[in-house]
Amino acid sequence: MTVAPPTEKSDIGGRPVPPSGWLGWVTSTDHKRIGLLTAGTSFVLFVGMGTLALTMRAQLAQPEQELVSSHLYNQLFTIHGSGMIYLVFTPFALGMGVYLVPLQIGAPGIAMARLTLLGYWFYALGAAVMLAGFATPLRAHADGWFSYPPMADSVHSPGTGTDLWIAGVFLATTGTIIMGWTVLRKRTYGMTMLRLPVFSWSMIVSCLMVIGAFPALLAALGLLAVGRADPSMFDQNVWNIGYQHLFWFYGHPVVYVMFFPYLAAVAEVLAVFSGRRFFGYKGTVLSLLVFAALSMSVWGHHMFATGQATNDYYSLTSIALLVPAGVEYFAMVGTILGGRLRLAPPMLFALAFIPQFLIGGLTGIMVGTPVIDYHVTDSYFVVAHLHYVLFAGSAFGLFGAVYFWFPKVTGVMLGHRLGRLRFWLLVLGTNVTFLPMFALGYLGMPRRISSYASFEGFGWLNLLSSIGAAFLAAAMTVFAVNVLWTLRKRTLGSAEKAPDDPWGGHTLEWATSSPPPRLNFTPDHPVPPVTSFAPLLDLRQKQKEETAADRSRP
Amino acid sequence: MKQRHIFGDVLALLGYALLRRRAGRQVTASERSERPRLEAYYVGVLVAFAAFLVAWTAWQNQREHESAARPPVRVDVSSFLWCWAFSYPQAPERRTVSGSCRGDDLPTLVVPTGHPVQLRLTSRDVIHSLWVPHLRYKMDAFPHHVNTFTLTLDREGRWMGKCAEFCGQRHRTMHFWIKAVSPEEYDKWLQGQQGAAV
Ligand SMILES: [Cu+2]
Repeated sequence: MTVAPPTEKSDIGGRPVPPSGWLGWVTSTDHKRIGLLTAGTSFVLFVGMGTLALTMRAQLAQPEQELVSSHLYNQLFTIHGSGMIYLVFTPFALGMGVYLVPLQIGAPGIAMARLTLLGYWFYALGAAVMLAGFATPLRAHADGWFSYPPMADSVHSPGTGTDLWIAGVFLATTGTIIMGWTVLRKRTYGMTMLRLPVFSWSMIVSCLMVIGAFPALLAALGLLAVGRADPSMFDQNVWNIGYQHLFWFYGHPVVYVMFFPYLAAVAEVLAVFSGRRFFGYKGTVLSLLVFAALSMSVWGHHMFATGQATNDYYSLTSIALLVPAGVEYFAMVGTILGGRLRLAPPMLFALAFIPQFLIGGLTGIMVGTPVIDYHVTDSYFVVAHLHYVLFAGSAFGLFGAVYFWFPKVTGVMLGHRLGRLRFWLLVLGTNVTFLPMFALGYLGMPRRISSYASFEGFGWLNLLSSIGAAFLAAAMTVFAVNVLWTLRKRTLGSAEKAPDDPWGGHTLEWATSSPPPRLNFTPDHPVPPVTSFAPLLDLRQKQKEETAADRSRP
Repeated sequence: MKQRHIFGDVLALLGYALLRRRAGRQVTASERSERPRLEAYYVGVLVAFAAFLVAWTAWQNQREHESAARPPVRVDVSSFLWCWAFSYPQAPERRTVSGSCRGDDLPTLVVPTGHPVQLRLTSRDVIHSLWVPHLRYKMDAFPHHVNTFTLTLDREGRWMGKCAEFCGQRHRTMHFWIKAVSPEEYDKWLQGQQGAAV
């Protein structure tokens, strides 16, 4: 069925003609601009948070170094972790959703564009507030991204940095909840649920988790704020352990919010570059839903060592996660096994995602098992695990998505040669940086230590890890050069123009022009008939059959 | 471990796809979008595997918490910013060992070999976590709450223990020694004879 985009203001959620200039950007109600703004902001923060990590790797490269003081080091890991989770991976995922979901479902805009914009504003303000902590007399917050009381109370963490951290996380999270809500409230235009692309499904599921679980973080932060006003509150164990329960009720689903959209981007890339329909679509959709439901029942597996969580129950639910995860892997591997693979840069990232994320997932089963967890929790093993999930996994999905949708979003192609160079640097850097951390944790290196003694024997593994980090820095530099150079050439008009559908895409966003017009689809570029979750593939197959039929006719 | 098998299998399939299914090799892409029968079997296997793991884990958890037949040796462990104190309520005169955790001034937790030792763990200020990497075990120390766990060391020796829960400025040097000595030597030490053990 073809839907001509409506032209009336009330239908499109905002002004039809986008104003220009930076003011036009930050007040735009075009979902594409809000999406890009969100993704762009989180990308700038990504670079900043990465720089903090490089400083930490430099500090840890040798035993007993004093490049940074231990107080500064504590701020570095706190803001790095908080920033990456609250301000980078979660908002970037939502930004992608805000940009892509309306296009993928053939809608001219997002349902409540002004609210989405408000969400962005909350997020940006939250980021500024959190980072402002560095400018206060006692500097930024320094108690890790989960900031347990009583360590985070006003006695043990004095200073405005911590207050700003609480306010910043609160604002940014409120922003993501608002954004998640508007992505969910989209218009489907007759597209049935089982014709939604995998990426749109992942966004729906992620937004459900945002709405279901993120308020628990707001509650935890509220608890912390009250406790900072009256530290005697944390003289009662119930508030200390209660904070951890609230926090991890949010803390586990958020991992999936930082993961599903990237996994789904990988799924789309795998299908397109395998030249076939995504294999096991229904199973994948179902597994995402099961995942989301289970995600809110496993929080206690972050708390085995507290001695105050029911281990049997939480290890049971954690192990159950293996079933939907297995289904998703089945679908991804099944897709490429029957495919005809083209190894363009987006596909390289998607392929690397498969084994790398698997390392994160399998070690996740290990840390979800109490007997193993007692040893490795709060050690570098956990640091390695979460970086395999978030960096070797989600970030690879993120970059795959950037290479994949860059032509659609900007209208020009991103250089392939630099893309490949960057890919190999990143693979090398990622594994050299994070693999040694598994061993370090197992050998007894606790996380969050600003230095270690020479006799402990952690030296060479740490050095190796720091060398890997240098490769990561190089990879990110190549990426930045590639993107900025391409955008510069676009301004000069010498960049390679992107066609509407450079990759042979499957979903509706590839049917419109690159970049898409204000209302996404125009009479020149109408919404094609939606016959399945891969409408453009259907269209191509139909055309192929028709030409074959024409030829066979005498 | 099973994890390695799974990783190996996925890697093998990936390698196969990369070698055999590249566009250059004139393959045609499959037009199938699902194989419900195969998927159902696969889910069945996954569920069975998960059920097995659940049972195994529950059994391990059980074993972890089995209390020993002999009455355990009791040690009260108190953590604080930034060191540890170990006291022995069963000693004739209450004995407490502590230190400053600055430089070499680390407190030593003395335990007898072959005996179950029950540690009662608490904190005077923020949350810490007692970790002995050699024993592959850790347990958090909460203020206003006591966590208990039992360990048994089979051979004599001395190992380092650490604080695993971030607790600020000197978290990284909040270490202690755990020393296992023969039961006889432990008794001597408990009676307060200097020179023994520590
Ligand atoms: Cu401590």
